[in-house]
Amino acid sequence: MIELNELTDAAQKAFPAEALSPGRDDSWRLVTEMGWLIVRLPENAGGLGLGREASTAIHFEMGRVLATTPLIPAQLGLQAVLASSMAGRSEWVERLAGGAYAPLHLLPAALEAAGDGTLSGTIGGVFDADMAAAVVAKLPGGYALVPVNAAGVTVHERPIWDASRRLFDVVLDGYEADPALMLTDAASASALHDTLACEAHLALAADCLGAANAALDLTVEYMKMRRQFDRPIAMFQALKHRAADMKTQVAVAEALLWSGVRDAQAPVTACAAAKTLAAEVFAFVTEEAIQLHGGIGLTEEHPIHRFMKRAMLNLQLCGSPDLWNERVGREALALR
Amino acid sequence: MTDKPDLDALRSEVRAFLAAEAPAEWRDTSRTQEDFVRTQRDWFGKLVKAGYAIPHWPAAFPGGGRSLAEQKVIYEELAKADCPRLLLSFVSTYHAFATLHECASTEQQERYLPRILEGETWCQGFSEPGAGSDLAAIKTRAERKGDVYVVNGQKVWSTMAQVADKCLLLVRTSSDGPKQAGITYLLMDMQASGVTVRPIHQIQGDEEFAEIFLDNVEIPVSERVGEEGKGWAVAQATLASERGLTLMELSYRMRGALSRVAELIRDHEHEEDRGVLRDFGHLVTQVDAVCAIADQFLDNRINGIERVGDASIVKNSYSRALRAYSKLGLRLGGVEEQYIAPITFGDLNTGNWMADFMNSYAWTIAGGSEEVQRNIIAERMLDMPREPKAWVA
Repeated sequence: MIELNELTDAAQKAFPAEALSPGRDDSWRLVTEMGWLIVRLPENAGGLGLGREASTAIHFEMGRVLATTPLIPAQLGLQAVLASSMAGRSEWVERLAGGAYAPLHLLPAALEAAGDGTLSGTIGGVFDADMAAAVVAKLPGGYALVPVNAAGVTVHERPIWDASRRLFDVVLDGYEADPALMLTDAASASALHDTLACEAHLALAADCLGAANAALDLTVEYMKMRRQFDRPIAMFQALKHRAADMKTQVAVAEALLWSGVRDAQAPVTACAAAKTLAAEVFAFVTEEAIQLHGGIGLTEEHPIHRFMKRAMLNLQLCGSPDLWNERVGREALALR
Repeated sequence: MTDKPDLDALRSEVRAFLAAEAPAEWRDTSRTQEDFVRTQRDWFGKLVKAGYAIPHWPAAFPGGGRSLAEQKVIYEELAKADCPRLLLSFVSTYHAFATLHECASTEQQERYLPRILEGETWCQGFSEPGAGSDLAAIKTRAERKGDVYVVNGQKVWSTMAQVADKCLLLVRTSSDGPKQAGITYLLMDMQASGVTVRPIHQIQGDEEFAEIFLDNVEIPVSERVGEEGKGWAVAQATLASERGLTLMELSYRMRGALSRVAELIRDHEHEEDRGVLRDFGHLVTQVDAVCAIADQFLDNRINGIERVGDASIVKNSYSRALRAYSKLGLRLGGVEEQYIAPITFGDLNTGNWMADFMNSYAWTIAGGSEEVQRNIIAERMLDMPREPKAWVA
């Protein structure tokens, strides 16, 4: 069993904190070599066979450096394929383990089936579709692999403020789903959805909190270095108290994340609550971080803005805080 | 997380005891100060007898010698069973115990520790009108005259001083040198001549705290803990006596009390109000997160990996969650909560949300204010520089 701190150390060596958002394609090769695509794949399927704690530790480090490589959607896509009963499953698992990319989409798909069964509409929230072989998407008939070069499929990049990532719409226009690429039927799609949703929420929460820690570190460092009125601005209580609140909120959100990670029975709402809190805390930390950096925080010369942009996108992935806070409230009401 | 087998056994043992002995209607019998004190004394007596009142004391005492992991199990079960918190005996079993155990003479320990188990209660005479967050600025004077100290001054914020038998008293025996250096630690009899206690009426109508006026009170030198002028170090032992268990217990109790908010939502037919559901969901997550960090804090202590400042983070996150919890209840309860109703003393759930809301301030102000905790987090965890000491008006 690999110790968590060994994974963390390895991650920090491969992705040092000084180099924010290292190039995507080199990063992808590196994470493939390090086995991070297959970290959760069982050993008998050729993977590392590690649990949620391991993937959480990795996503945390990838958040810390604002990683450009789409590890989260890749791992989720691989998990979906692995959970399927598709005939070509083992070939696909092998391809994906070797570095082919089939991401799960992290925003809803709005698709309509025509009378002949063909599909039209948009699959939203696909990261780095330009390097994908296929997209793992929830179609009306169940989860499926949708090859991006199939007839009736086009990909459109939609530029986003978060420069550390690339987001695409996969547009279907009369696409005919290949029965050989169906991962589930319609009936079992929701069970797979719940499994993937838990994993997605915890992974995103780790990304948020790794990045929030890095933004806090940068801010604290800046506050100790920046001098006004003949003293470091970190000496002013009005400012240091804000840093203390940032630290407090990050620590609390981390505790909730790890309690979810370690509870294999945690329901979707619990995992979503951990993500919602983590994303809200990440957003709060980066908002404060820009303000505490003063003028330089508003410029591209300092990297702190990049954290804020990632935070605002993370808030929207896998369901907004409004959506999940309402569901958590509804479920808690039913239970109490 | 699964407990070790011996912890499971303890858990079932505590559960069985609580199923049989937990006082059911204690909220109804805690509505006046007198009733509250009686209910507290009864419950403490039962817990002493059962061996669950002082799990953190040494094994030489019945019910003592429990590991922190075992203490955690006991407190978790007490919280889940919604038993009264041991408020009246808290200063005695934690602050007085730690002070006596770590710093007092054998003779003092033998005299006072057994009496705590018999129900003798202690209060703390630390804060003064001019010494709150800056505790070392105390001015209460003690002058040595032969075998006694003659003490004059005023203490404030002493929890339950009006019913206490004994007092942990910080006094100034010298004004030379740094302010911490002239402080001496005394054990005072609350019945001594010259001691006057005035209860403080809090904004929610409780009288949890009191002022203590000291007018030529004679305290035997034999009641001094440690050496003269070395009281500041003893006070640190007092203040460090309880770290973690209380906040874990309170966090779990707050999680249980979320059912009160759910009740309000149903009573006011907000079940389909998305705004209310969002606010409730947000609160549920906040409370779950505080439980998670309180839990993690204790686990870190058990494993010896607690860091400086961790306790401040737990305290600030608990107190803010408590404020949010009571504010949501207050908002949803509507004008009804503005009518004064009989309240339960010493409980997270007084039965009136306005009182609960006002009570929540105790946690952002007492026990090291939120601002003092922020300083600790910023200066000791984030390594930010302190403000310069000198200040010229």
